[in-house]
Order: sequence, then structure tokens, then C-alpha cells
Amino acid sequence: MSDALTLAQQGWPAAFPAVTLAHYLFVSAAMFTVGLIGFLTRRNLIIMFLCTELMFQAAGIALVAFGRYHLDFSGQTFVIFILTVAAAEAAMALALVVLLFRKRETLSADEWTEMKG
Amino acid sequence: MIDRIEFLWPEIALFVTTCVVMVLGLSRRIESRRMTALVTGLGLIIAGVLAARTTPIPGPRSGQVLLPELIPYAKVLIASVGSLLLLLQAGTVDRAEEAAIAAGQRPYDPLRTNRAEYYAFFLFSLTGLMLCASADDLIWLFLALELTSLPTYIMVAMSTGRARSREAGVKYFFLGALGAAVFLYGFALIYGGTGSTNLNAIHAHLAAHGLNLTALAGFILAFLGLCFKIAAVPMHFYAADVYQGAAPQVSAFLAFVPKAAGFISILLLTATIGWSYAADAQGPLYTPITQSAYDALEGAVSMGLPEPIRVFLWVIAALTMTVGNVLAILQKSVKRILAYSSIAHSGYMLVAVLAGPNNGTFSQSGLAAVLFYLLVYGVGNLGAFAVLACLEGRPDADGEPAEIEDVDDIRGLWKTRPLLAWVMTLSCLGLMGLPPLLGFFGKLPLFTSGLAAGEIVLVVILGLNSAVAAYYYLRLIKASLIDPPSDADLPATPTPFATRTLAGVLSAAGVVVLAFVGGGLMDRSERAARYTSMMAVAPPPPPRKTPYVPGDDTPFPLPIPIGAR
Repeated sequence: MSDALTLAQQGWPAAFPAVTLAHYLFVSAAMFTVGLIGFLTRRNLIIMFLCTELMFQAAGIALVAFGRYHLDFSGQTFVIFILTVAAAEAAMALALVVLLFRKRETLSADEWTEMKG
Repeated sequence: MIDRIEFLWPEIALFVTTCVVMVLGLSRRIESRRMTALVTGLGLIIAGVLAARTTPIPGPRSGQVLLPELIPYAKVLIASVGSLLLLLQAGTVDRAEEAAIAAGQRPYDPLRTNRAEYYAFFLFSLTGLMLCASADDLIWLFLALELTSLPTYIMVAMSTGRARSREAGVKYFFLGALGAAVFLYGFALIYGGTGSTNLNAIHAHLAAHGLNLTALAGFILAFLGLCFKIAAVPMHFYAADVYQGAAPQVSAFLAFVPKAAGFISILLLTATIGWSYAADAQGPLYTPITQSAYDALEGAVSMGLPEPIRVFLWVIAALTMTVGNVLAILQKSVKRILAYSSIAHSGYMLVAVLAGPNNGTFSQSGLAAVLFYLLVYGVGNLGAFAVLACLEGRPDADGEPAEIEDVDDIRGLWKTRPLLAWVMTLSCLGLMGLPPLLGFFGKLPLFTSGLAAGEIVLVVILGLNSAVAAYYYLRLIKASLIDPPSDADLPATPTPFATRTLAGVLSAAGVVVLAFVGGGLMDRSERAARYTSMMAVAPPPPPRKTPYVPGDDTPFPLPIPIGAR
């Protein structure tokens, strides 16, 4: 009868004994890396901007987790400011992309190579 | 908190000026609009005077405990070079629009002008730069760096009406956002590794417990991100394209303001780490040694930044100098030559950052060398860009005058515009570091501080690079001062803005005059570089919190109910 138990019923994978700082840092590092790789490989300006946002928020997750770990509020305070700056950057990115789009109707970064050398 | 405001009066003055300028630039009356630049200059002068009157108070009230005298020096320097840059900005935006209004072709329309925004962004960026100098907290430093950079992206995009300015602006913005994300992640890790965002508290923590791996990774990432601001090697490739795409007066701004912000931040971060680590320290924890322990070793080890950070900055400095100079030789465009030369200058300054304070005298302190070189570089570079900003070609199809681009375009300047030829010559000789001029007195302490810190190989690389750099500076001098005028059909004519010429002449005069009256400036930069570390003194106080060590898998502590503290 015990064969009939599914893996989940046996409690596998073992539940996390507790969520530790390392889990949060792993998520944050993964987000940062995904953002970095996306920025370097994608050529669409909007996607590239989203990748930098991903990297900003990865830093935010690390800060909140560290703040919780150290039991003080500096990390969370930092995140509030990061959100503000990220919003300002978003507004600016869209304005700049629209400026380019009006001149030539494409969002590909490869189309804009007037200066080389 | 209220004490801190004493140190922020220059920034407050600049911010108030920014608000006034934003309204004034939109005025219907041409007289009021013309006042915009004047009010901006007035604000800068007031900020400079306020900064000069700031007296550093010892102790924690002054905010920055590590480099207590940096604030007045850096802010006066920023206000002075900022005023020169302002003279250069005349007529950057709204030139065609104002001409059309003056000719009666169309009525004044606030939506079509951007003079107010332009000068406001100019001031915002300088405010951010001053805030960088007063920063004593990672949050503050991050916000100040962003305030310095965000306006410059727009300034590049709106500096000319050409498509390539927009392209340059977008390129600059995207790579700037990448750099900001990298140093932000570094700041997060520094906070994680030390348990505080306050630079003094971080320094105290490092003095007591040494540098753990999390904080080490954080500092490396922070320096990597700041490499974007100073255009150092892994993040340098934007510089040539952006400087070329922007109008020359904006390129002059970009070559000084973000770079100064980057170097002030790097100085603050390296001062936080401290130069008190023995070179042969091993193991996961890098512990600073005390002065008495160091004296007991009788020079058996050299003291400096922790080995991984030292190696990292060493490689970046060597690569930045070499790549900048080699690529500058290959260029045809004057702006690209100056862009790559500014990359090389960042490499030179990183040598002094690496050297550290040593015994604190002007000839040995790397911090004083960086602070003095910022002035030398700012003045010399401004003169070279001013020559480009003073000249223009025939208007193209859009009615916008063509820019001076190639080295050939400034050929024979001595015949057509002798004044500008001399400005170019003196600025290039100054940047080159020829003995009687200011550049020599700026470059010498870079060498001597590096030697005092025992970085012999790096100093040799610095010397070789300075020799290589002479090639392209002499090429610019030869074109403007010796070659006969070119007979191409793009004769360089002067722009109708006299203040741009004034800015060039003033910076060329600065290269000569400051070299002879520069003793006081050297004393000031030596004092500004006074470094009060907690590391070489008695055992520091124990830290409040346990640092995060990789591999630590203790669960999060239980939350403390609000009010139970």
C-alpha cells in the first residue's frame, strides 16, 4: 500500500526547513543575471530597458532580504528610493525611445549605427 | 539632522536657482529669457561662495568623517569649472527658434522652446555632483549619482537637432542604466556584508572585522558600475560615440561632470575600505592591520587596499590607460580623439586612487593627486572642447550649421583664428603634461604617489602611456598651429557666441597661470585629502550586528513586534 503513495504524499521534495537569506539572495542573483544576459543579447530597445529594470529590482530584493536579516530598516528605505529612481528612468526611457521612433519607425538598436569607429 | 543642512547650503542655493531658471526660461519677453544663463551663473557663484565658507567641523556632525575636508574643496572646484562650462553653453538650444521669433516668422510658443529645461538640467546635474561630495551614506550616494547622470542623458539628446544626437542620447541612457544597476547591486551587497548603509559605520565594521566575501563582491560590483561614470575600460565603449554625437559644449560637460562624480564616489568608497591591509593577507577574511602591528613588521609588508580590490583596480587602470591611448591614435575625428584621451586620463587617476593617502603630503598622497588632477583635467579638456564649440561649418539642409569634425577641419587655424589655435595648443600641451604648464604639476603627483605606494610596474605603464599620448596631442597642435589652411569647401567660421571663446581663453589662461600660482591650490588639495581612518588607531568599537557570511543558513530571526524595542 505504501507503494501507492505519490512523491508529494511522502513529503518530497523535503519542505524547506525555513526560508533563509540564501534563498532570497539566490532569487535576486538569478534576476540580476537574467537581466544582464537579456540586456546584452536582445536588440529591442523596450526589452533592453525592461532588462535594466529587472536588474534594479533584483537589487531591491537583495536589499529587503538583507534588511530583514540585519533587522533594520535601511534596506527597505533604500528600496523606496530605488523605486522612485526607477520610475524616473522609465519615463525617460520611453520619451527617448519615442524620440527615436518618430525619426525611423523601428525599435531595433541595430538600426541606429550612424557613429562607428 | 538639522546640523547636516549647514553643509548643504551650496546645493540648496543651486536647487533654488534651478526652480527660478525653469520659470524664467519660459517667459514671453525675450529679455527675461536671455537672463536665464545669467541667473544660472549667479546661482553657481553663490553656491561656490557658500561652499568656500563651509568650515569642516570635526566629529560626526560634519557627516563625512573619513574625508572631512573634501566637501569645501570639491564644491568650490565644481562651482568654478561649472561656471566655465556655463560660458560654453551659450546658444546650445533654441538658436533657430529664437532667430525665427526675432525675424517675426512665428510668435513665441512656450512648447517649442527648451532653454528653461536645458539650463535646469545643467544645474540639476551640478547639484547632484555636489551632493556626491557630501555623501556619507550609500542611499545618498546612489541618489546623488543618479541626479548627476539622468539630466545628462536628456542634455545629449537635445543638444543638437541631428539624428545622431538622439542616437547618442539613447545609447548613453541605456548603458548608463546598466552601469547604475551594477553599482546599485554592489551597494546592496555592501549593505548585506556590513549591516549598514552609512559609510562611517561600514568603515568601523571593516576596521573591527575585516572585509568578508559579500562586502568584497559588493565593492567590486560598485567599482565596476562606477567605471561607467568615469569611462574606464569594461564600460568605456560608449564614450567616443556619445561625445561625437553630442554638441561639443555638451561633450565638454560630459567629460567633466559624470567623471568627477565617479571619482569622488570611488574616493569615498576606497576611503571606506581603507588602505590598511597587508599585501600578503590570505583567507576569506581580509583584516586590516593596525599601525603598531605595521610598524613592528618594519616594512616587511606593504600596506594598501585588500589584495583582490587592488588587483581589480590595477588591471582596470592599466587597461584603461592603454586602450584609451591606442584607440585615440587611430581616430580621425577631433571629438573622438578627445573622448579616448579622456578615457586614458581616467586610467591615470585610478593609479593615484590605488596608491592611497600614504603619508598625506601632496607629493605622496594619491587622494590629493586625484583631487588636484580633476582640476587640471577639467580645465585642459574644457579648452580643447571650447575650440570645437567656437567653430562651425556651413549650414546643412536642416539649416543647422555643420560641426567641426575631422582633424583636417582645424588645419591652419593659426591663420584664420589665431586665438583659437593658441587655446587648442595650450590645452593640448596642458593635457599632455609638458613641464612649465599646469598639466605637469597635475601629473607629477600621480607618478610620485604611485611610487610611494610601491606600484612600480603601474607607474612604468603610466609613463609609457603619457609618452604615447603625446603623439595625438601633438597631432592636434600641428594641425591647428603649423599646417597650412585646408582648401576644402568647409571653411570653419566662428560661432556668434563670444562667451564660448571667453570660456576657451579662460581655460587656456588657467593652464598657464594656475601653474605659476598653483601652490595654494596644491596646499588646498592636500588638505582636502586629509584622511582620518579608524583603522590605524586603537581597537574600534564592536559592531551592532553580525555580518552575513556566505554559507550561513540560519533562518531569519523572528520579527520583533512593533513597540517591543
